[in-house]
Amino acid sequence: MTGFDLTNLTASFSGKRVIGPLSLTVNPGDKIALVGKSGAGKSTLMRLIYERVNRDSSLIPQDLGLVNALSVFHNVFMGQLDKHATWYNTLTLARPFAKDKAEVLTLLQSLGITEKLWTPAASLSGGQRQRVAIARALYRNAAVLLADEPVSALDGPMANSVMMQLRDRFTTSIIALHDVDLALNYCTRIVGIQDGQVALDQPSEHLAAADIVSLY
Amino acid sequence: MATPVIWKLMLSCFFCFTAAAASAETLVFTAIPDEDETKLVERFRGVADYLSEQLNVDVRYIPVKSYAAAVSAFRNNQVQLAWFGGLSGVQARRLVPGSEAIAQGVEDEAFETYFIANTNTGIEPAAELSALKDQLQGKTFTFGSKGSTSGRLMPEFYVRDTFNAKPDDFFSRVGFSGNHTRTLRLVEAGTYDVGALNFQVWEKELADGNINTDAVQVIWKTPHYPDYQWTIRGDVDERFGDGFKQRVTEALLNLDNPELLESFPRSGFIPAANADYEPIRKTAQEIGILD
Amino acid sequence: MPSSPTVRVSLIFLAIALVGLLFADIAVTTSNPWRDLGNFLFGIATPNFFSTEGLMTALLRTVAFAFVGVALGSVAGFLMALAYRSLPVRIFCAFIRAIHELFWALIFLQFFGFHPLTGVLAIAIPYAGIFAKVYSEILEEADPESGRVLPPGTGNISAFLYARIPDCWAKMRTYTAYRLECGLRSSAILGFVGLPTLGFYLEASFSQGLYSDAGAMLILFYVLIATMPLWVRPKLLPVYVLGAPFFLGEGLPIVWGNVQRFFTEDIVPAPLRNGEGLTGLTPWLSDLMINEAMPGIWNTLVLTQIALVATGILSLLAFPLISNHFGGPIRRNAGHVVLVIARSTPEYILAYILLQLWGPSMLPAVVALALHNGGIIGHLIGRQTNAIKLRADAAEGFNRYSWELVPRVYRSFLAFLFYRWEIIMRETAILGILGIYTLGFYVDSAIQNIRFDRAMVLILITALLNIGIDTLGRYIRRKLALQTMPTC
Repeated sequence: MTGFDLTNLTASFSGKRVIGPLSLTVNPGDKIALVGKSGAGKSTLMRLIYERVNRDSSLIPQDLGLVNALSVFHNVFMGQLDKHATWYNTLTLARPFAKDKAEVLTLLQSLGITEKLWTPAASLSGGQRQRVAIARALYRNAAVLLADEPVSALDGPMANSVMMQLRDRFTTSIIALHDVDLALNYCTRIVGIQDGQVALDQPSEHLAAADIVSLY
Repeated sequence: MATPVIWKLMLSCFFCFTAAAASAETLVFTAIPDEDETKLVERFRGVADYLSEQLNVDVRYIPVKSYAAAVSAFRNNQVQLAWFGGLSGVQARRLVPGSEAIAQGVEDEAFETYFIANTNTGIEPAAELSALKDQLQGKTFTFGSKGSTSGRLMPEFYVRDTFNAKPDDFFSRVGFSGNHTRTLRLVEAGTYDVGALNFQVWEKELADGNINTDAVQVIWKTPHYPDYQWTIRGDVDERFGDGFKQRVTEALLNLDNPELLESFPRSGFIPAANADYEPIRKTAQEIGILD
Repeated sequence: MPSSPTVRVSLIFLAIALVGLLFADIAVTTSNPWRDLGNFLFGIATPNFFSTEGLMTALLRTVAFAFVGVALGSVAGFLMALAYRSLPVRIFCAFIRAIHELFWALIFLQFFGFHPLTGVLAIAIPYAGIFAKVYSEILEEADPESGRVLPPGTGNISAFLYARIPDCWAKMRTYTAYRLECGLRSSAILGFVGLPTLGFYLEASFSQGLYSDAGAMLILFYVLIATMPLWVRPKLLPVYVLGAPFFLGEGLPIVWGNVQRFFTEDIVPAPLRNGEGLTGLTPWLSDLMINEAMPGIWNTLVLTQIALVATGILSLLAFPLISNHFGGPIRRNAGHVVLVIARSTPEYILAYILLQLWGPSMLPAVVALALHNGGIIGHLIGRQTNAIKLRADAAEGFNRYSWELVPRVYRSFLAFLFYRWEIIMRETAILGILGIYTLGFYVDSAIQNIRFDRAMVLILITALLNIGIDTLGRYIRRKLALQTMPTC
């Protein structure tokens, strides 16, 4: 079961409603792109969805949530902290197990940052940090992906390659994107947000870039 | 990573403490810090060597920083023997039932406090303290240590008794120099106009030529009172064997090494008893130092 | 006249200090203070490193007590930091850190006597309270985002180890290292009440006017602190921490019966102990309040307020010494040396020295507090100005100071000053032991008269006063929206 109903989502900032009330049904296998101009409430909506779904989702928040003092390996490993006993996690902090190292390394290979395995997150560039957060989400290996602008700092080819991986690795996903082409190419359903409401909800094959641009 | 460190730390602390506890069968003694520390250490190391020789046990002297610390160490059984002043001895024996004054200096039967003044004040010596009232009033004044007999208790008693006022009210500024040597130096230097100190310290420093008599002079001498004494805990016999207290007493009374006696300075030691210090107890109670 | 809240608050405090000066006992009572000061400086210039055989041992003990005390304090403080949300824990921490190391030492001396535990606990206990507060602040400030993205169901400990500790680690390590420096100072001071650290010999040399000996000790102490970055290496720390307990010295054995006696008899108010009951307690307490507590509180407050303002003025005067915006490298390096000496010398030792030189009054205490604290704040502010980039055509000299720099750093200057308010008060109280009539004087007198019941009440009052000032300081900092990292 990877689909879910999101009903009556609302959010307010200092008394002013910024989201909803808004409802969204997510079917298993949906690959949803959330589009809309900045300030439309996409990030807030992502957070609301995460709070509802929580279980079994991989999250890539806009500010990534990396632990700066930890190495790339450890940041990625954090995706599976719930799968191991406390002693195992603690030991891994000091001395990682070969099995985990190999797994993480494979993941990093697909993202092209293997040489940074032991670099602390603090000394990475913006694009590298983003890929570490993506690796963490992939490593988490949940059925649902919730990602907020996951490729905003990556160059064209890398962005495409990452989007492809995200599409293939997760059955269901909700990704906030500002790049209309990426949304159309890698998602099956486009949800447009305007003034905290759903302004557009269509399968992507029915849409062209021009249809979406009107939201901006 | 942090936990093993803590354990090792606690473990090593434990070893350290047990190591300290193992060396308990040494006779440890202390003395009130009434004079310069170098002098005290020199004097009491000599006494430790002497006692060790006479008693056939290890004897160790530990210096302390205050009169109260000497009393506390005695009370806590961390030292078994102490060279106390009159007041600290009374305090200590009240707190440790069974403890006894066993010996005092020959001079301690009739001890005195000297009031001294910087010559710039123009205060002239007098036979009666009451005669100095006008000259002393409003001057700055220093005691020795807060817990001293000759440096605090007796002078405060005579000030109160004679002038019918608390020292704080009678003098413009009242300080506690810490010990007798420092009282002497502070009055000599003019930091305080007037001070009160142990007459033995004065006489010894004078004899050694360490006093600038142009700058400071004795202006009044108190009547006699009992002062310093050796006090020993009542439970030493249990700890070091029967008759130990007697042996310590004899060793002290027989001390005749002139150099050692000179360092006190005392001409010799004579027997003492708790009752000898009754006047001190009463005086202390009277001025509210003792409950 | 323009008036911002920060300026208004500054003026109010300045006014309070000026009124306080009218009541304060400020005087130089020695007949020849300059000659004594000259002798002292000459002593420092001609240090005698071979005076006491025990000097090296004393240095070793100073380091050992600092390491063991700070290590225990940081572990205990860390554990309490985890539970810092709980109000009882916060109150407990505020209480134990409101009591100065020397007071703790005086308390433990009464039942542990001259055992290493006395010195270790005297440092560890108040430090634990401070560590708990600062660690919890550091943990609180950590970015919560990395905790949020953890898979649901992650164990608490794993979550803490991965998402919290790593990013706080650097700050906690820096702060702990900084406290270690404070620990060295605390450890040195403990010698003044009889523990076998540097202060023991320093006091002895000073009181006998052996300035060359004292100078040697001070120089060794500065060298010890200045070279800390060289010998305190992360890799060596475990060695130090594990080895330090073996270098505390033997002391004298603990008699555990004394501990019980202290808590069940000594500190019980005399009327209760003597069976007079509550009727006897009222006159006992009122006598204590009127004759000791009230004058002690008054003098402590007056001295604190004057010292606070003096510290402020001195900090503002001192920061250009190390600021990049004035003078060349030679003068700046000299400035660094001056400030390092000022802040490395514990207030207690400074006050002790100045009291010997100038005689007893509040003056030596004010100067000592201002020098030490002004050295610390001046250093912090000076470093802050070095991060400021001035436009190329900025004013020069005094105009640069008063128009470009002071306005920019004034808020953080006030933040530091109000942060140190409580610290200054804690020190003010303790300086009473040296003979200034603050609360410490009456505590010391009570202890000298073997009246621990009175001493405990007075220490309690001192602690409450500190907590009050701490709260007030925090309130003012919040009102003015001043933020700061802790200083020791």
